[in-house]
Amino acid sequence: MAERCAVVGLGQTKYDRCLRVTMDGLVREAALKALDDAGLTFADIDAIVLGKAPDALEGVMMPELSLCDALNAVGKPIHRVHTAGSVGASTAISAVTLIESGMYNTVLTVAYEKQSDGDFMWALSGGKSGGQGAGGSFAPWIRNYIARSGAPEHIGWKVAVKDRLNALKNPLAHLHMEDINLESVKESPMLWEPLTFYEACPSSDGAAAMVMTNKAGVKRSSSKAPPAWVIAHAKRTELAVYPGRDPVKPLAGVDCAKELYKKAGITDPRKQIDCAELYVPFSWFEPMWLETHLICEEGDGWKMVDEGATEIGGDFPVCMSGGVLSSNPIGASGMVRCLEAANQVRGTAGDYQVDGAKVAMGQAYGGASNYFAMWIVSSDPDPTFN
Amino acid sequence: MSEFPISFTLEYPYERTLGPVIGPFFTALRDGRVLGINCGNRVICPPVEYDPDTGATLEPDFVEVGPAGTVENWTWIAEPTSKHPFQEPFAFAQIKLDGADTAITHAVKAAGPDAISTGMRVKIQFCDERVGAITDVYFVPEADAQEQTITPGEKEVRKTIHKISLVYKEKLYPSRARYVQGLLDGKFIGQRSPKTGKVSIPGKGYDSIGRVTLSEADDVELSATGTAVSYTVITPIQYQGQTKTEPYISAMIFLDGSDQPLIAQEVHGIPADEFRAGIRLRAKFKAAGERNIDDICNSWMFCSTGDVIERWEPTGEPDVPFEDFPEFI
Amino acid sequence: MAEDIAIVATALTPCYRNYADSEPSMIMSLVNQILEETGVDRYKIDFTIAGSSDYLSGAPFSFIASVDGYGASPPVYESHVEMDGAWALFEAFVRLQCGDIDLALVVGSGKSSPGSPREIFPIQTDPYVQAPLGLDPVSVAGLQANALIEAGKATERDFAEVVSRSRRDALSNPNAQVAKDVSVEDLLKAPYYATPLRKHDLPPITDGASAMLIARGDRAKELCDNPVWIRGMDHRIESHHLGLRDLTDSPSTRIAAKNLGLEVSSLDVAELCVRYSPEEIVLRQALELGTNTKVNPSGGPLAGHPVMATGLTRVVEVARRIRLGEASRGLAHATSGPALQQNLLCILEGDA
Repeated sequence: MAERCAVVGLGQTKYDRCLRVTMDGLVREAALKALDDAGLTFADIDAIVLGKAPDALEGVMMPELSLCDALNAVGKPIHRVHTAGSVGASTAISAVTLIESGMYNTVLTVAYEKQSDGDFMWALSGGKSGGQGAGGSFAPWIRNYIARSGAPEHIGWKVAVKDRLNALKNPLAHLHMEDINLESVKESPMLWEPLTFYEACPSSDGAAAMVMTNKAGVKRSSSKAPPAWVIAHAKRTELAVYPGRDPVKPLAGVDCAKELYKKAGITDPRKQIDCAELYVPFSWFEPMWLETHLICEEGDGWKMVDEGATEIGGDFPVCMSGGVLSSNPIGASGMVRCLEAANQVRGTAGDYQVDGAKVAMGQAYGGASNYFAMWIVSSDPDPTFN
Repeated sequence: MSEFPISFTLEYPYERTLGPVIGPFFTALRDGRVLGINCGNRVICPPVEYDPDTGATLEPDFVEVGPAGTVENWTWIAEPTSKHPFQEPFAFAQIKLDGADTAITHAVKAAGPDAISTGMRVKIQFCDERVGAITDVYFVPEADAQEQTITPGEKEVRKTIHKISLVYKEKLYPSRARYVQGLLDGKFIGQRSPKTGKVSIPGKGYDSIGRVTLSEADDVELSATGTAVSYTVITPIQYQGQTKTEPYISAMIFLDGSDQPLIAQEVHGIPADEFRAGIRLRAKFKAAGERNIDDICNSWMFCSTGDVIERWEPTGEPDVPFEDFPEFI
Repeated sequence: MAEDIAIVATALTPCYRNYADSEPSMIMSLVNQILEETGVDRYKIDFTIAGSSDYLSGAPFSFIASVDGYGASPPVYESHVEMDGAWALFEAFVRLQCGDIDLALVVGSGKSSPGSPREIFPIQTDPYVQAPLGLDPVSVAGLQANALIEAGKATERDFAEVVSRSRRDALSNPNAQVAKDVSVEDLLKAPYYATPLRKHDLPPITDGASAMLIARGDRAKELCDNPVWIRGMDHRIESHHLGLRDLTDSPSTRIAAKNLGLEVSSLDVAELCVRYSPEEIVLRQALELGTNTKVNPSGGPLAGHPVMATGLTRVVEVARRIRLGEASRGLAHATSGPALQQNLLCILEGDA
């Protein structure tokens, strides 16, 4: 790499069902918070990378064109990424490459969704009846995971409870379900058998932003918190539909993790990574991704959940912030995973901080589980693993 | 070969929350006034939430501008689109309202292209029905302006509705047209790749693995029997356009001889607690005259079997054991 | 230290008024051409990136199907911009600058024929104060044209000359959709459509795609005899509030050109994304192009406008002229948004 990339500013809005702001106001809130965190202003930014899911969610085509003023991008490059649900993480990675290329010194990246302007179910079904929702597409694969792994049914409920309890420690999380427990998840309405209502993500508005810079920029920045160094990033895409595809453990997810660990120098992810923010919009994806991303052996993901290994305080905490199950501003959700990983290694995660976290993973997936994007950040620019 | 023209309207009434600047601007428009926002030494109209030069957040410090102004630039629209404010020829113009330093781009209703010019004075007119939207107003030459008495509304405008309705027209792609013709004929038509030997349904006109184009010669008729390899019971979520209300089984079914499942096959008539992965099913087609394929479009995501299947019924064969499921499971 | 990156192969579909099959099928034909020409194994390409738009054909997530066209089994390192393919090229160029990978496949594609572009594109404008008025790119081009005339920077005859020359040049472009020999005088007899523009000042509605393979350093020289080097890329944007812009100028183009150290006197050819004839006047003046630079020898977007591929196609056209030895140095331009709101420049040079 021509340059190393560090994250020096983080900003997020509150996630909620309907934020009473314009889209300009939404992205600005996250961007200004990230700049403030970095001790910088718009004038310090050389380029902007914007991400969000389909334009039809808000009915704004190519929104970089109408948000450029709000992000003070006039006279600068502004770039727009769209890779379905993984877009937030893809956007962060595109921004990292702007720094790593040596072409730009300081970059602002922003991802958002204003779902309450429109309707996700409508957009996903292309405006037609019979839309099953993402859950309807994923439920058969979850059923296959359960059949293959022999996981007991309470695993899904357990993930749903854990993430919602984590969210109680995150004031920005959309859902704050004080009374959630295994019983209430189990008894909530069955939406897409075996997924119940409480095992599914909410529909949220929100935006997330990060300021990234190079080594010289880190020296110049007056950020109060230490930087999170981007140690490795990887993306993989496979065809959405093809004969022989395994949507339960997609090869793209396996390959992406292999590439990520190889670049980071990680040989034993469960030991060498302190915590992870995984994209878990439906409870069962936590064990599925633990296996797909080689954090454990095939068939052991649910056991990690069952043993409490993925709780804060466990040996491999997952979704400390409450995850997608507690806040899902679709286009931003992947960026939030990357951002929260940085939050952990900077030691700024507040009540959901994992003690001593030095290496963290952020992951997102999208489409028909055929897009994956991940990064590893560390408090140490050159961590050594043994 | 039959052609299948399709037409589709992508339509949604977006509800946009307005925030501290556009909210008051739209409230004022509804109430018969136009607001600009103070930004340093200038007044910007339509108002913005930030200083365009620095990006700094602006205080919501409004000043009333207009109702008249000067045309700075214009173009006469000879053939309006269905989305324009007027369906007869009109002008779009950049108008600097009195008291503002920047121009608003809006529609001017005038007698003809000769009735508008740069430097000309125009005045805002308020529509009778105002909802708090930019479409509550339009402009006319000052000489044509009517005196209006506007009764202000009651509540602050916090949302605006932006209905987007776009019509798309195309024909079914050739491979899909043959698949659809098959369904109308009571047959399942897929495509076999000469390169990989794999059979897909519906065919796409190419094999994405072997990277070759497929033609009619690669079409194959598949059996109407198959195995459900997975399923879910769906409780429909209501949204604009959704017509389903009752829970139903949605299954993935591999037709015999196919390497790719038919997805989202609705199964009725088999109780959910009797349904299982591995069950052998046969499609019973509707009578020839009752088969409907109107909902089939070109999208890769939503290619259904239309409304041609009366029901999926158990063949009575033993279930296929899990270990014998097709490759992907 | 900047890396040397070159275009090693290009492919274009014709500009179709109405392509009967799917977007992925167009892409597949292009990518297969490139693989065949270079002998590169699809799965030895390090990075793939595409530009397309859901709204053009009205299907959210339509870009997922496009992956079929360039292939991703086994999985590939891939990304997508909801922008013209020229911005996909920009991201690929940035990615190769990182120095750890060598080879990138870039695709731009779009089918405008199913929809009505004049009704779709207003939703690119401000969703609160502009889009509900249906303010479309043709109308904004009309405003831009009128501003140019009233500022004394152009005449209606200038617009007609752009159209006449473009359509005539398109006669030698086998991929062109609109090509004919028509005089300025005849063009000026047509009625106004968005005064002072006439229908012929507008681009046709087009389906089409373009693609290219780019490579870093020695890898480029291994893959072809005459790589076309990308000497620099930059893009900049302007305000979306028309009232805050000078429609007769293109400051974003000026900034990009300055940042690249562009020397226009050395340009033999420039392919500019002239969707509406007045845009050529604005760009020529902003770039200060001289008479030594041949502009849009392909006919440009006025001869075929495959939205989301139009910008990338400009890069392909310049690269092809350099490879054919017709030019040694050239400029490709891409644009997005009404009245040249966002502009991208790409400087290309042969080995010479």
